[in-house]
Amino acid sequence: MSDQTATAAKPAPILSRHDPRYEVTMYRYVGVDGAHTLDFYRSHGGYEAAKKALTSMTPAQVIDEVKASGLRGRGGAGFPTGVKWSFMAPPDGKPRYLVCNADESEPGSFKDRYILEDDPHQLVEGMIIGAYAMQMTYGFLYVRGEYYLGATRMEAAIQEARAAGLLGKNILGTDFSFDITVHRGAGAYICGEETALMNSLEGLRANPRLKPPFPAAAGMYGRPTTINNVTSLTSAVHILTKGAAWFSSMGTDDSKGTKLYQISGPVKRTGVFEMPMGATFRELIYDFAGGPTMEPKAFIPGGSSTPMFPWEDRFLDMPMDYGTLAKNGSMLGTGGVIVIPRDKCIVDALYNLVRFYAHESCGKCTPCREGVGHWLPRMYQKLVSGLGRPEDIELLESVASNIKGNAFCPLADACIGPVQASLKWFRDEYEYLAANGKSKYAKNDWWQA
Amino acid sequence: MKVRVNDVELDLPPGTSAIDAVFAAGGDVPYFCSQEYMSPIGACRMCLAQVGAPRKEKDGSWVMDEATGQPKIFWFPNLMATCTTQVMDGMVIDTLSERVKTAQNGMVEFTLINHPLDCPVCDKGGACELQDRSYEFGDGISRFEFDKRHNEKHHPLSDLITLDRERCIQCKRCVRYFEEVPGDEVLDFIERSAHTYIGTADEGLPSNFTGNIADICPVGALLDASSRFRGRNWEYDHTRTTSMDDATGAAIIVDARTGRIERIKAALNPDVNKTWIDDGTRFGHEYVDSPDRLTTPLVRRQGKLEPATWDEATAFIAERLKGLSGKDVGIAIRADATLEEGVAAMSLAEELGTGQLDHAPRPAASLIGNQTATLTDLATADAILVVGDVTEEAGILDLRIKDALKGVTPPTLMPHGVPIADLRLKERMPRKREILAVAAPYRVELMRHAGTAMRYPAGGEAAFFRALGKLAADANATLDEAGQAAVGMPTDQARALVARLGAAKQAVVVLGGFALTRREAAEAARALIKAVGAKELAVGPMANSYGLELLGVLPSHERYGYAGMLDGSKALILSHLDPAQDGEVAERLRGKDLLVVHDIFMTETAHLADVVLPAASVYERDGTVVNLEGRFLPVRAAPVDAGSSADLTGVVRALGEAMGKRLDGRSVRSARRTLKKRFDVDFTELPDHGLLPRTKSRGPAKAVAGEAPSATGNVLVVPSMARAEYLNRNRHLAAALGGNRLRVHPEDAAKHNLAGGAEVRLRVGGTWRQAVVQVTDAVPRGLMTIPSLPEQPIGLAQADLTSIVVEQVRLEVAS
Repeated sequence: MSDQTATAAKPAPILSRHDPRYEVTMYRYVGVDGAHTLDFYRSHGGYEAAKKALTSMTPAQVIDEVKASGLRGRGGAGFPTGVKWSFMAPPDGKPRYLVCNADESEPGSFKDRYILEDDPHQLVEGMIIGAYAMQMTYGFLYVRGEYYLGATRMEAAIQEARAAGLLGKNILGTDFSFDITVHRGAGAYICGEETALMNSLEGLRANPRLKPPFPAAAGMYGRPTTINNVTSLTSAVHILTKGAAWFSSMGTDDSKGTKLYQISGPVKRTGVFEMPMGATFRELIYDFAGGPTMEPKAFIPGGSSTPMFPWEDRFLDMPMDYGTLAKNGSMLGTGGVIVIPRDKCIVDALYNLVRFYAHESCGKCTPCREGVGHWLPRMYQKLVSGLGRPEDIELLESVASNIKGNAFCPLADACIGPVQASLKWFRDEYEYLAANGKSKYAKNDWWQA
Repeated sequence: MKVRVNDVELDLPPGTSAIDAVFAAGGDVPYFCSQEYMSPIGACRMCLAQVGAPRKEKDGSWVMDEATGQPKIFWFPNLMATCTTQVMDGMVIDTLSERVKTAQNGMVEFTLINHPLDCPVCDKGGACELQDRSYEFGDGISRFEFDKRHNEKHHPLSDLITLDRERCIQCKRCVRYFEEVPGDEVLDFIERSAHTYIGTADEGLPSNFTGNIADICPVGALLDASSRFRGRNWEYDHTRTTSMDDATGAAIIVDARTGRIERIKAALNPDVNKTWIDDGTRFGHEYVDSPDRLTTPLVRRQGKLEPATWDEATAFIAERLKGLSGKDVGIAIRADATLEEGVAAMSLAEELGTGQLDHAPRPAASLIGNQTATLTDLATADAILVVGDVTEEAGILDLRIKDALKGVTPPTLMPHGVPIADLRLKERMPRKREILAVAAPYRVELMRHAGTAMRYPAGGEAAFFRALGKLAADANATLDEAGQAAVGMPTDQARALVARLGAAKQAVVVLGGFALTRREAAEAARALIKAVGAKELAVGPMANSYGLELLGVLPSHERYGYAGMLDGSKALILSHLDPAQDGEVAERLRGKDLLVVHDIFMTETAHLADVVLPAASVYERDGTVVNLEGRFLPVRAAPVDAGSSADLTGVVRALGEAMGKRLDGRSVRSARRTLKKRFDVDFTELPDHGLLPRTKSRGPAKAVAGEAPSATGNVLVVPSMARAEYLNRNRHLAAALGGNRLRVHPEDAAKHNLAGGAEVRLRVGGTWRQAVVQVTDAVPRGLMTIPSLPEQPIGLAQADLTSIVVEQVRLEVAS
């Protein structure tokens, strides 16, 4: 190969958590007693990255550093963070807002929660860096309503930081001023969509807004706004500490750095694992989660909205990065892997998922409100209760394809993706259920095992 | 920009939406959420189309398709909602492909799964967008086999609007309308997902512009409560005409069935009301159908009014007139008479040789200024000063001012009319409040939207304008304490206001009725307008005030005006006027040799008359009115069954016949011949949208001052959206407004022992007025307000507060 010499000159990227060069960064202090205090955080090198940015770098340099690191948004869509930051118009003396999206509501995702609860200062620091880079005047932290402890810890951390001169006027003695308000959501999944989140923050009904204008042009209260996921911001802390080169030394071509992967379902150790991008599902599921405890048949790769894969080697050995998953018809999403055991009826599992989306549809657009919100759950209910007919499966497919791609925001597609994937891989279970009136896998108390 | 829609090539201006491109190309896509003059939101997903565009190489050249040699079209992966997609150069839009058809069919199916399909009992049936579009783009069958969502079918959002929550398809037009058009956020979605429904936080819809949501609802969910279950759309006679409710001349459609007006809807006039009207215009028609309408002439015989034929009645009048000198006869018509009726009145006066001719109410000051703005000028102004309560006086002005606050110029009309999706409009747009200053003697609705809001002492309009004029003349001048009180703000603010008016590219000063009640106020206002280089819009009291002044339906001398002729004439011919409500005037009218009343009801004055002639209501006339911009607008008669009633041209014809004369203005056609000579406009060919003569408006034939009300008083007679004289007969409007309101400051209410909601009678001037007390701090201490009557025009009046009689106390406090 022509780039053999380049490969030789450059060390191979870190693609596994077993690589000795790899170290845990974002989740280093999660689970450590007292890690949520300012004293602990500072005594472990905290706020040094913010200090470095504010005192020795220009905002443009910070953005360049993040761009060079190859960090992509960790909320699910994977848009390059540095590029997003550079979209902001130059400051004009009027308010501009940094919003941190901690409305982590996707089933299977729980990475942000432990940062909010155990390492809140890391996020505060990340927000200061982001705010400095884009010269934001104010920050909002939109925390999922159910994350009571997380919100409380964040409030406390912000107060501590404010008292220590890390927030408020003239941070660290520089002329940069920034402060953060914590806002607790009221339990709507749609608020994870950035424009709906802004509406919610403004006190309006949480409907997604029309784009353009994009938030960087007209966001909160019509002012330039950038919305970042919790771990996009905390990643920036480590990018500044260790350098963009360190960050981009990990991962695949299109996905750099470390990411928090979550795993749930019947595995030995469910939880959050920080891994380099490009690590395989097999490494996560077998090496870190200890392997399945029940016979698996499928796994969802990145949170409930990502289409599932059957339990096959070709999928298990897939690197967990943005590009590979997209190529295989799914998404990396938030990196929340859910293992589905063989004995769980897939139709029933999807019924559960569809009900979630039906409940969470905001009601703005027709296909989502009527299709996802009303029709799909009823079709599943009919199937699950054994009243389905074979032609119902075709109807389900037809309705799903009518919704797919036609809705206003990605929520409807987030529901339809898994539905279509389940039909693609496990159509036999649907057919069995429709033909026999009962599930191929009748065991329904699998979670009690 | 070159755009291709299904093989039709178009050249469109940048910023056009794809849906407008489709319609401009003669194509069609269904849509429910988009609405003319409102922001596109892409919610209903009906207008999906396959959209593609060419791409450019880095060097700026098109990426070419090698097979065709044309720029290669890159199709968007998903179907695009055309209403929210902006056209790009070279864009290709396909609305006919199988994929698009499948999607449209799917959206129709989704839209209908929770729609009750109760079309046979739905008022919207036959004129329903959902019905039409389902036929055109749906499959005709539903594969949905589950229960539909059930919800309230008859939810009264207010006394004027009834909501059927099952029929609602959540297009959000109504919710957006309230935020975007009148700026009264009174409606929103509640709940989410398939449970979403529209509702209000509190009772009712507190806005003057609620009825429009019934027009824009694409289904039968929001219905005009006054016409619900009254008829089917195909049974109505639709008469496109001009509203005679206020001076703006909004376009309306009068829907009548079997000789009765069932409802009024807004019609499109892009230069005037766009597609909006206020509730006074929409719901203020029920009085026309009152059972006590006069349908036949009455003649006084042996002291009693008895039914007669027109021939008998006019012969009676002609006979009596013979015994009188013509100059002793006074003729007064109400200011919403058409130009044609004005010609008739003038020709009758000329025939009789009397100078005692007038229209009423007529403000002291002339309505015809030097620099009359158009409504489009107002909607595109960058500095606006409003003096008065235009929301009540002429609601369309209020809405057009709010257009100006958005800073979006009126859209250019496309081949298919108003753009369906104007992408410049957004939900919750920031408003440029700073360009609007509102001044009034009490707190008015428009002040909520104004950057500068001033309350000046009632009756102090002249001092108000003089103080501002002083600052306009000399930027360094200061206002003393009296001057600051007169403008209701400190000097620097007043100076900033004047500076903004002066610096503006297009400043408009709106002179509400208060500013016209006294000549010196209007003179001071016009001096200010001239000094700052603004244009003016003077709001006349009634629909054709401007036109009748322009035509010259005016007395030959100030003392022969309406007030003068009530005193000085020996005989009176009154059209739609009821001066006898004032007890003292009634006494004087008893002494007349001849009193002819031409009206639609047995008014106080009609009871005193020698001859009562049944009149055509404002909806039953053909004619022309001139709105406050000077725009000639056509008025067309709706087919209403009103016995042998006639408009003033009919009266003049019959009277002329009895006198053996063929008078000008004996018919609308005859009057138009006269008008053509006068204005050089063929009124038979007047377009729906009216005609604004290019030439500078000519001043009135004779400049004669109107009568000024007293300069002091304890009651301010104020404009009202609903016509006070007919409110009791306008059942729905009366219920929604709670009656004619006597607004009282809380301290005064305590002093006079008045409770909110109490029905009271009090004497204002010489007239007994009935009203419902509303206690509010919107009015200043020591000043009550009451809606105006044609015979009691706006301005200060003296009420006998000891005369207040509480007729009924209501538990409910209307506020």
